[in-house]
Amino acid sequence: MPQIFPKALNPIARVIVLSLPIIAASTGVGLAAFYRSSYATGVGETPPQPVAFSHAHHVGQLGIDCRYCHTSVEISGSANVPPTKTCMNCHQQIWQGADLLEPVRASYKNNTPIEWNRVYNLPHYAYFNHSIHVAKGVGCVSCHGQLDQQNLTTQHSTLLMEWCIKCHREPEKNLRPRSEITSMTYSPATLGADQKPLTWKKSDFANFGKLPDGKENPLIGQPRPTTQKELGLLLKEEYKVRDNVTLTNCSMCHR
Amino acid sequence: MKPDSTETPPPLNSSAPSQQWQGLDEYVGSKEFLEAVQNEFPEGASEFTDEVSRRRFVGLMGASIALATGAGCYLRPAPPRKILPYTTQPDEITPGVALYFASASPLSGYGTGVLVRSNEGRPTKIEGNPSHPSSLGGADSFALASILDLYDPDRSTGVTHRGSPSSVEEAIIAIRKQLYDEAGQPKKAVRLRILSETVTSPTLAAQLAKLLADFPEARWAQHDPAVGDGVREGTTKAFGKPLNVTYDFTKADVVLSLDADFTTSGPGSTRYSRDFAERRKIRKTGKTAADIHGGKKDEAKKDDHGHDHDHDHKEGVQADQLNRLYVVEAMPTSTGSVADHRLALPTSLVESFARTLAVELGIAGVPGAAALPDAAKAWIKPLADDLKAKAGKSVVVAGTQQPASLHALVAAINAKLGNAGKTVIYSAPVEARPAGKVIDLKTLTKEMGDRQVDALLILNVNAAYTASVDVPFAENIKNVPFTFHLGTHQDETAVRCQWHVNETHYLEAWGDIRGHDGTVSLQQPLIAPLYHGKSAIELFAGITGAAVREGYEIVRSFWKNADEARKTFPSLPKFDTFEVFWQEAVRAGVIAGTGPVSDTTPLAGTWAADAPVAVAAGELEINFRADTTIYDGRFANNGWLQELPKPVTKITWDNAVFMSEATARKLGLDPAYFRWTGGEHGRAQVDVVELTYRGKKVVAPAWVLPNHADGSITVHLGYGRERAGRVNSTPGEPNANGDPIRGFNAYAIRTSDAPWFAVGGKDAGKNDLSVAKTKKVYFLACTQGQTSMVQKDLFINHEWDRKPVRHGDLALYTKNPAFAKIPPMAAKETTEINENVPAPSHKHDGEKHESGEGHDKRLHELTMYYDNDKFEKFTPGLKPDQQRRWAMAIDLNACTGCSACVVACQSENNIPVVGKEQVTKGRAMHWINIDRYYEGAPGDAGLKTLFQPRMCVQCENAPCEIVCPVGATVHSADGLNDMTYNRCVGTRYCSNNCPYKVRRFNFLTFVDWDSSSLKLGRNPDVSVRSRGVMEKCTFCVQRIRGAEIVAEREARKIRDGEILTACQSACPSGAIVFGDLNEGHSAVARWKNEPTNYGLLAELNTRPRLTHLAIVRNPNPAMPNTPKGV
Repeated sequence: MPQIFPKALNPIARVIVLSLPIIAASTGVGLAAFYRSSYATGVGETPPQPVAFSHAHHVGQLGIDCRYCHTSVEISGSANVPPTKTCMNCHQQIWQGADLLEPVRASYKNNTPIEWNRVYNLPHYAYFNHSIHVAKGVGCVSCHGQLDQQNLTTQHSTLLMEWCIKCHREPEKNLRPRSEITSMTYSPATLGADQKPLTWKKSDFANFGKLPDGKENPLIGQPRPTTQKELGLLLKEEYKVRDNVTLTNCSMCHR
Repeated sequence: MKPDSTETPPPLNSSAPSQQWQGLDEYVGSKEFLEAVQNEFPEGASEFTDEVSRRRFVGLMGASIALATGAGCYLRPAPPRKILPYTTQPDEITPGVALYFASASPLSGYGTGVLVRSNEGRPTKIEGNPSHPSSLGGADSFALASILDLYDPDRSTGVTHRGSPSSVEEAIIAIRKQLYDEAGQPKKAVRLRILSETVTSPTLAAQLAKLLADFPEARWAQHDPAVGDGVREGTTKAFGKPLNVTYDFTKADVVLSLDADFTTSGPGSTRYSRDFAERRKIRKTGKTAADIHGGKKDEAKKDDHGHDHDHDHKEGVQADQLNRLYVVEAMPTSTGSVADHRLALPTSLVESFARTLAVELGIAGVPGAAALPDAAKAWIKPLADDLKAKAGKSVVVAGTQQPASLHALVAAINAKLGNAGKTVIYSAPVEARPAGKVIDLKTLTKEMGDRQVDALLILNVNAAYTASVDVPFAENIKNVPFTFHLGTHQDETAVRCQWHVNETHYLEAWGDIRGHDGTVSLQQPLIAPLYHGKSAIELFAGITGAAVREGYEIVRSFWKNADEARKTFPSLPKFDTFEVFWQEAVRAGVIAGTGPVSDTTPLAGTWAADAPVAVAAGELEINFRADTTIYDGRFANNGWLQELPKPVTKITWDNAVFMSEATARKLGLDPAYFRWTGGEHGRAQVDVVELTYRGKKVVAPAWVLPNHADGSITVHLGYGRERAGRVNSTPGEPNANGDPIRGFNAYAIRTSDAPWFAVGGKDAGKNDLSVAKTKKVYFLACTQGQTSMVQKDLFINHEWDRKPVRHGDLALYTKNPAFAKIPPMAAKETTEINENVPAPSHKHDGEKHESGEGHDKRLHELTMYYDNDKFEKFTPGLKPDQQRRWAMAIDLNACTGCSACVVACQSENNIPVVGKEQVTKGRAMHWINIDRYYEGAPGDAGLKTLFQPRMCVQCENAPCEIVCPVGATVHSADGLNDMTYNRCVGTRYCSNNCPYKVRRFNFLTFVDWDSSSLKLGRNPDVSVRSRGVMEKCTFCVQRIRGAEIVAEREARKIRDGEILTACQSACPSGAIVFGDLNEGHSAVARWKNEPTNYGLLAELNTRPRLTHLAIVRNPNPAMPNTPKGV
């Protein structure tokens, strides 16, 4: 039987055989990289919106608290996008003729919702709950970034499961006092006007610091730790943040 | 698929095995059955054997092309989505937080109080209303499934006039033209006929009363095909006026049911189920005789702080207060199945039985009885003695399908026993029936035939389908010059009427309705009418030209006019501010002061007058019954109810002619009546018979049902509908007659003079009744034995006797309360140990005991891991009050097998309906199986029926977890066996390794992604699963996590009873309890401390978190055939 391939092709065959593992490995690495790339996760993307709403202006310049609009963030799984009425609370009085706000006025007048494009688009099988994160001391900025510097809202986090799990394994790295939840610039190292560490407030604790036995939490009035490591561990204890085994149970987020 | 075997199975009366069995095929050990149970996924389940039609092929190709081109495919985990906030957010709504509203679910005119969950304005789940007397928190399968009717894609979506679209305004103008002259005055001579089912709504009744007063010639026909008139007519005979009868089963030591399925059918059954079960739950700290019947209070129950904890702990009863239930019936029902003594007697002989019993009880003037079979005669004396011994503490209850004379007799018996006013309460009738104005459907039809009707107004009654065969209602509709139909569907009646107005669902409209005891509930809309329908009260307001047209204002104005309302409800409280009264009534779902007022009219001397001559046993008897899942046919398009295995028969999607084995032989049916294709398939091949009754014929499948009375057959109404909708129409799945509809129409042989039962025979003249076998066979989808736990040991060729349901009688319980803990395989050894090792001397004072299993160390659990703490404390990072061990207990003694939990689970967890063919392939998706086992030999008087709900038991040592290659099923810190759908790749190893067979695999895309109306009804807190993933009971993890978040947010512990799983919340009898085992005094911990608590297959060391409490029956030792204990 004659040979199908001439002998001259042997080196090429060897090269192919030897490079197979490299091809396989690089395909794997490539896929993993692609999976994590901003193209696949959407991180850093700024979807267009029907109204050019600027967090930078409202939060950064005007200093409106997040919860003025996102009212349900402390009591519900969803941090609601505000109803048109909320916009109109102010914009009946100011900038009431601005072209930019025409879609808002039209929505209010016709009772048709404004169709916002979702920025943080979690898959349907992941059940994220805002209220518990806020109650346990995870600040808005931890996931959403410094909104006071974003004009149109940009996706700040990858929303990959590994990103969620990272914090569920070590929640202490992202905990902050409850009274600082909506602060865009909070850092444990920040000192007060008197150049001393800030102290614990009543609003840092559940039930305004009242313990189950009726006494006040002894921490109130005491200086807060100034490093995230110390502060996180203390808060984990105070806020009864559960351990990493429990927090990474599948049914915590998937039902 | 393997061709069906034609091999004749061995005869049934072979040696009776002691083990519990589900189907006859299992009982005789058919080869196919044993093969099927060896195979985790039955033949046909794992293969795609469906024929590929051209259309499907094109569809598949289209899908492949779409995939190949990337269209419809998105690289990111979630496709881009929009957010549409409110423009003005309603005050009470917080997006993401569900709200609950009180309402009442109607069935045949009576309402059961419900709480409806609303997610962002969409009703998504029905729960019972704990403050409603007909519910007490439970709900039946009809109420639970009624939410699917709201979203039924086949609902009528508009007004039609002779089939063409029209408008409500035009319809009302048209009907007003018929009834009123140009000046707006009623035309007095108009012979208006209104056809409705029973009406209890005070508002609607008032409207109808006014209409009937305006039109002297008008009449009101009431037609309820599924409810008999026995109670109303019987009380009229007994007391001289119609009365409503309610029962207090909590005070009844002995209950005799004469053909009454009081725990699962009829108004108030949900309540009765709970009351009855209260006396079946044996608790160490249960109620004593003094607690139940009054008497001196037990002072010792106060704790150290002087608090009375009775309200916490006094659930159930002490063992000596266990009630006793006797049931006499033909067709096995849920109630009959849980009886201590059940007599299978043809329905026609029930009255004779009662008469004989009444004579034995010493009642004078009892009409003569027909001869009873010996088995029945043997019952009379011991039964009468038992009733006499418990005089004043017993209940005799008769089924509504029994004649008035029996109900009058039962009233006499209850009066004689002194039960009247104590356990049997009479009160004013609940139904609205203005005197002299009400006619029945037969009279109406005759008038229509005689052209005596000018206008016919039908209120959602499908009489064209449900009329008896001798009442040609459908044919006579055309004889009425003006016909007007209000209904939710374009059904058989709607298409024959000139006008059709689409009716609102009860979740879309305001209304009021009364419960079984007369308590009024307000119904409030949860959503604006999806198709702009009108409710009956709104329609009447329009017709009569009332000033108030909005449903809200109509109902309000009725109750605002309190003086008028007090004529019907004398104890309606006086209110200063109507708004306060109204808001409270809407909130609570119950109007205070509308409950029953006991009527103590004495028994009339003429109660036995005009009693018909007792019917003697004939050659054969036929029974008509409302279907246990689709009722009178109104739920024929409700997929949840169609697919729900019927409580006793376990058949889905079909009806059949039910008969006992002896009757089948007598009728010449093949004694080897099944040619099984294997029980696991749920595909049972049965004979098709021609059932001829009074000259009318239906072709139907025959089903041999153990425990059915001999000489009697039963057919169920509600099937064979022609215009029910997509669920009911079955191209490709013809019924036994070859028609593309579900089941056969039993109305086609039902007659109005004997609507419930009749004795007949081949040569009985008018009552000719015969069952002839045809050569055809038919496949029924029957889930008995599906996902069976039967396991055959391949090495020693032995089928283990698992005794899944452990049971005993009171004597056994008294002797050894922990009898159920003995694993059947080690029964001999355990008994030996018990006999040879002395019992521990130290005793406990009952409830203080917290260590779990008691100090009797003679009974070790079969486990290598004695140190239970290992399982409790493997999350050392948690604070003590955050360490939770979720667990469930099911009291089998309280379970009636009613299957409400299955529907509740389906609704809560977005479980898809798969269809009949898929059920026959073993692909049904229900997370809960209600196993119905038999113990004994079929045909035996002592054959026991045992129910056992079986869902994932959340093993601590879960066999499924160790075999999952992708870690899709893993354990959570609080002891749940988590199932992560998006990680599952569908290997099905887990199901293979699950000894309980409670995992369900999504073989095909069962979920309906297309019908937009169905999307509204899904629970947003649970993933909607698609093809290729395994799923199973999660203990309603979404509710656990939801409650956990709230508790953690509020920095407190989760309260006991704060989390109710869907099944627990629905269970009418309160047989299911769920909670945290670490909480020492939680209800679940108390239940699990009962000696009857046992783990299903616990001998496999799976350490199930869901355990069962064994059945303890209370047979009367004096009765014949008293079954012995285990």
